[in-house]
Amino acid sequence: MTRTKASLLEVEHVTVRFGGVTALNDASLRVNAGEIVGLIGPNGAGKTTFFNCVTGVLKPDTGTVTFDGVEVGALPTHRRSRLGMARTFQNLQLFSGLTALENLMVAVDAHSQRGMLADAFRTPLARFEERRAEERARALLHFLDLSDRADTLAGDLPVGFQRRLDLGRALVGRPRLLLLDEPAAGLDTRETAQLADLLLRVRDRFSVTMLLVDHDMALVMRVCDHIYVLDFGEMLTQGAPAEIRRDETVIRAYLGEAVS
Amino acid sequence: MVLGANLHLLPGFTVIGIVLGGVYALAAVGLVLIYRVSGVLNFAHGAVAMFSTFTAYEVSTVKGAPGWVGALVAIAVGAGLGFAIEWLTIRPLQGRPALVKVVVTIGWLLVLQTAAGLIWGATAYHQPVRLVSRDGFHLVGTDVTVGYDQLTTVIVALVFALAIAALLRYTTLGNAMRAVADNPDTARLWGISVNRVTAASWMVGSAMAAVAGVLITPLIAFDTFSLTVVVIYAFTAALIGRLSSLPMTVLGGFLLGLAQTYPRVFSSLSGTADLVTFTLVLLTLGVLFRPGGRKLRVV
Amino acid sequence: MTTRARRLSLLVVALVAIVWPAMLSDFSRSLATDGLIFGLIVLSLVLLTGFVGQISFCQYSFAAVGAFTVGSLVAAHHWSFWLAMPLGVFGAALVGALVGIPALRLSGLFLTILTVAVALFFDRFVLASGTWNSFSGGLSSWVVGRPSFLGIHLDTSYRFYLFVLGVFSLCSLLVWNFRRGKTGRVLRAIRDAEIAASTLGINLTAWKLAAFATSAALAGLAGALLAVSIGSVSTGGYDLIHSLGVAAVATVMGVNSVASAAAGGLFLVFGPEILRHLGVSSQWFNLITGALLIGQLIVTPDGMVTDTQQKIRHLLQHRAAKRAASPAGRSGEVDLTERVPVRTGARS
Repeated sequence: MTRTKASLLEVEHVTVRFGGVTALNDASLRVNAGEIVGLIGPNGAGKTTFFNCVTGVLKPDTGTVTFDGVEVGALPTHRRSRLGMARTFQNLQLFSGLTALENLMVAVDAHSQRGMLADAFRTPLARFEERRAEERARALLHFLDLSDRADTLAGDLPVGFQRRLDLGRALVGRPRLLLLDEPAAGLDTRETAQLADLLLRVRDRFSVTMLLVDHDMALVMRVCDHIYVLDFGEMLTQGAPAEIRRDETVIRAYLGEAVS
Repeated sequence: MVLGANLHLLPGFTVIGIVLGGVYALAAVGLVLIYRVSGVLNFAHGAVAMFSTFTAYEVSTVKGAPGWVGALVAIAVGAGLGFAIEWLTIRPLQGRPALVKVVVTIGWLLVLQTAAGLIWGATAYHQPVRLVSRDGFHLVGTDVTVGYDQLTTVIVALVFALAIAALLRYTTLGNAMRAVADNPDTARLWGISVNRVTAASWMVGSAMAAVAGVLITPLIAFDTFSLTVVVIYAFTAALIGRLSSLPMTVLGGFLLGLAQTYPRVFSSLSGTADLVTFTLVLLTLGVLFRPGGRKLRVV
Repeated sequence: MTTRARRLSLLVVALVAIVWPAMLSDFSRSLATDGLIFGLIVLSLVLLTGFVGQISFCQYSFAAVGAFTVGSLVAAHHWSFWLAMPLGVFGAALVGALVGIPALRLSGLFLTILTVAVALFFDRFVLASGTWNSFSGGLSSWVVGRPSFLGIHLDTSYRFYLFVLGVFSLCSLLVWNFRRGKTGRVLRAIRDAEIAASTLGINLTAWKLAAFATSAALAGLAGALLAVSIGSVSTGGYDLIHSLGVAAVATVMGVNSVASAAAGGLFLVFGPEILRHLGVSSQWFNLITGALLIGQLIVTPDGMVTDTQQKIRHLLQHRAAKRAASPAGRSGEVDLTERVPVRTGARS
């Protein structure tokens, strides 16, 4: 299958070294607008390193990261977020001391220019934005099926709920690109299936492009339009799910992991 | 003021700086040991030193026992306080944020500081604890006098610092301490009693503080507050060692001792030592310090 | 707590705070005034520790910046208090932001060392008599008179008390507004998960520095008021031990609640006073504070005031739940019971 649509994210020839270890070697990847692209690979293949380069947690030693035609390799995380990138976390970095509702409201807040002064005196603008933030957060909680947990502290929610909240928090800014870091980690089969449904619903409702990093094959095969395979820091192959499923090298890479 | 006017004081001040530095190094080694093994920045370290030293003062200066008896009493009291702090108040807080444990040590600082003030008087002048006579000798080829007490201080401080290094390197307890500092969970898997090793590190570290306290009394104002704030000097030295390397910590101690002393050649302002300390803390935290080193490095 | 119950209790507190001191002696009234001023310093810690999660042991150094700015400008240069005070607050905020800079790349644990170093630096260098005399021309203390406010001269102890009460209430309201608004949410979010906050587009640098500066500004304001309350500014009273004491009291009362500020401030002045009445040396106060601090951290981690508030809230909710007893709001429980076995199985 050829992919002709406009690309939203382009990662080209990225190399990352930690001391003497080359974690990523000349890795390239392209995500087209409207697609869900998967990045898979055995443990230690460099998936998280790759992911961190895209989000800006790590700066690659060489190579470029282009988002919507803008080279973002040197931009700090919060600037990339303003351009329309959002991410979720493998280890669920929720604001555990805030309620579910507040977790989403913070995400709305991040996009308002209002500073401490407006807050201190509760200016009309502050009140208006506060009300609107709450409305948006509640609407999103409803979409995520979390309405009845609005006032529960995020840290007290069950893991499946936390995953959904994390996803919701990333969606608040209406990002164009959503980066998902192992969203199925810690979920059982049934919860993973629910998550897959939710991801497809999210794409349709929010018309958002996604890059999904996971090694849960069931999830990746089910939701992705296009899959990249990373092994030992290098891109092994890429293709549609059906092609990847048949690919000898991929099977070997995964079997190799299973045997060892 | 002409800057060169007091330069002839430089050699004498070097001696004072080295002596002070030795004491800071010793206190800092205890601090790093406690931090590495238990993960607690012990702000009560100086207060422990102060309280132990006042017991030595009580035994030696007031009751008239020999200086070394007082020092031994101080060591015992220091170790006892270290054990009490760990056993009574740090252990029950297992799993709570590190900042909470820091605040607990502040509680101890206040308790010990006030208690010592109530027992021995908060601002009164106290006769220092003397381990040896005040006589001295001329350094060969110069007119610099080195007191026997100064010499003793440096030697004792270095001996104790070396003893800690030997303890950590060559004994089972030391190996266990290093293992716990590395990773408590792994240490537990090897069958090490993390609680016991942590308590031991608090006892050893606090005993070091006590020794440092006794040694420093002839050098600085001997009152409850001055000794309590020695903790911040120890922290400065420890930060230079990135809170992990003992040799660098000792070096940091000497560096701080000299850096605090030299400005006094040019300036008579009383707080210069603290200006220097503050600058060094700011420098180490702001520029040099990367809280990356995890291992307790003995060499 | 319901909004009505909260409003009612606030009204009662306000009435007591205004009327009761009118019946007290001048001495007790000035103690209460100082209590509210110390309360501002506790409030500055509610902001910094409660929201940002950063403990500071140098709040009195920030207060000193406020006090000495007011002292030098009013006493030595005959400025109006109303010009000197904002300058002092601004100066304290600036120093606070400077102290906060290393916080941008250091964990809070190591920053505590810096705050102690700052306190010691002020205590023994900036405010040491030698240094101080060299810039103040040898003045032992500056005399600061009571200013007028809206044409009313704050010369009686009751008027000045009311003025300080007003300032304290206003600042508490501001901090409470922070707490329930964007500021509180953003700062607590940064405290809980820095990387996630920055991914959302929150500028960590700006918010952290703003929090440090605002906290220091509150302490600076307290210093400026203290200068007026005492009537003079001299080098004693802004030392490390005071900073440690106020941090201890703030922690004991609970840094998560604005109400702790008033409780903490009053405790700081009336504690030693009560001891004196009992015939015990007021020196015991710090010992008691320290012991309370240790005990409280082990027994009630959130602090005494916060703990009491939660108990009251639970009691009220319990009663409200009994009265309503409607099963409608509980529909979510079904989903939960389905998940619980899976989760506990995986965890244990």
